Amino acid sequence: MSLLAVESLVVAHGDLVAVRDVSFNIEEGGVFVLLGANGAGKTSILRAISGLNPPRSGTIASDGRNLAGLKPHEVAAAGIAHVPEGRRVFPHLSVEDNLTVSFLVRRTNLKLAQARDNVYALFPRLAERRRQNGGTLSGGEQQMLAIGRAMMNFPRLLMLDEPSLGLSPLLAETVFERLGEISKLGLTILLVEQNAIALRLATRGLILTNGQVVLLGEVSALQDSEFVRHSYLGL
Amino acid sequence: MSGLLVGGVYGILAVGLSLAFGVMRIINFAHGELVMYGMFAGVVASRMLGIDPLLILPISFLVGALIGVAQYQIVFRHFVGQATLQQLLAAIGCALVLQMIAQLIFGADARTATSIFSGQYIVFGPFFLSKAQIVAFVIAASTTLAVSLLLNATAWGKAVRAVADDVEAAEIVGINSSTVNIGAFALSAGLAGLAGTVLVTYFPVTPVIGFSLMPMIIIACTIGGLGSLGGTFIGGICCGVIQQITAMMWNSALQDVPLYVLLLAFIAWRPTGLFGSRVE
Ligand SMILES: Nc1ncnc2c1ncn2[C@@H]1O[C@H](COP(=O)(O)OP(=O)(O)OP(=O)(O)O)[C@@H](O)[C@H]1O
Ligand SMILES: [Mg+2]
Repeated sequence: MSLLAVESLVVAHGDLVAVRDVSFNIEEGGVFVLLGANGAGKTSILRAISGLNPPRSGTIASDGRNLAGLKPHEVAAAGIAHVPEGRRVFPHLSVEDNLTVSFLVRRTNLKLAQARDNVYALFPRLAERRRQNGGTLSGGEQQMLAIGRAMMNFPRLLMLDEPSLGLSPLLAETVFERLGEISKLGLTILLVEQNAIALRLATRGLILTNGQVVLLGEVSALQDSEFVRHSYLGL
Repeated sequence: MSGLLVGGVYGILAVGLSLAFGVMRIINFAHGELVMYGMFAGVVASRMLGIDPLLILPISFLVGALIGVAQYQIVFRHFVGQATLQQLLAAIGCALVLQMIAQLIFGADARTATSIFSGQYIVFGPFFLSKAQIVAFVIAASTTLAVSLLLNATAWGKAVRAVADDVEAAEIVGINSSTVNIGAFALSAGLAGLAGTVLVTYFPVTPVIGFSLMPMIIIACTIGGLGSLGGTFIGGICCGVIQQITAMMWNSALQDVPLYVLLLAFIAWRPTGLFGSRVE
């Protein structure tokens, strides 16, 4: 059974159909990348999976368990973490409290402080800023916090929506490096990106255009695709 | 000086409203009715059971919280995140129903309750102060402090503030925002109930008192900043002090006039109040 199985997914915002008939499976391990231009429907897919935007039709299952109708916090409890577009850290909570409130699901035997220390080990920068409010962090630090927050629930699948958006190339590089480390720890990653660096990290993926899958497969196939050559390599 | 004491009670009356707004963006126009039930709880204790109203504060809190949860389940949960006109009308409807029920149970007459401090005064320098008001202020201030601690130092309180900051983000990290909302609303309503019982030790209650308390509650919230609990409490104190000064210097019949002017000024120039609108 797949860690995540998306079948004939349709997502609509009112009359606008943002995602049409999208199907893909993610197996345990590795980085699955979801590429697409602005407005392709990437965020809509992630929000449907995490229960923020219930789909119009189609099924989403994790290890055979149907996620339809679950509230976002129940999806989180099922081991699917979502690092949302725009980071969305809690601006008036300290870094430490951002992590603390993200530890309610208890998917681990670790104590709160140990879980936080794991995150601080991954992002030492956050440890230095632990008393600072989320809203006063730099964009890169907020992204680290958003990822760290998602790690607090010890998810099986970590979904990230354009983590490099708005970051300097150097910072984006750092974030992707950390994601590589997280992936090596055995955590499966679903990475939504427009940034071509994502391909270096990925094992499999798909390309989305106008809400539809135009290519699904190994990362080598994606790299050779016209979409990637055209958008990222300028060919 | 007695303006300060009265203002502290305005503060605690307003803190609950401010909390519900900060977390859920709901303005509970029936907040004054929750206060009214807290006041009647004090009357029942004092007149029928012969118990000092100040001893039943936990029960008053529960009375307020229970009515609040009923309000939330029936009305407000449909309006979370939207302080719309419909929400206001629903809240006013809610207030009228609560008034009617009180009228049926308690009748329309003004009732009072007496605590061991009622009707006693102490002289403090040039001031002549009601003991009931001093006690009321102390309870109001310490309750506000306790709520602030609850929100800032406990896991539940932090979850409440997370929901206030960003409901969606709170949900995706695993916080059940519906239960957090019910809890926060119950706390808000419980505070109103508790404040009512404190108030009735020096101020008589009628079933329609809610609507006469509401302007002061709103002004306190506007000055302090809807959502900011400490700010709201200070806003309440400002109201009490300004009222008192106006009554002394000018005319007690016009004591609320500067407050309304101030309300308009804040709405025009600083709608987020002195302390902004974040929950803390
Ligand atoms: N809440 C909404 N209401 C109405 N339309 C929406 C809403 N959210 C998204 N859309 C529309 O759905 C389509 C897909 O949007 P989506 O955010 O999923 O794209 P995306 O691939 O994440 O784009 P980007 O790379 O810019 O983040 C777009 O046409 C967008 O305008
Ligand atoms: Mg997007």
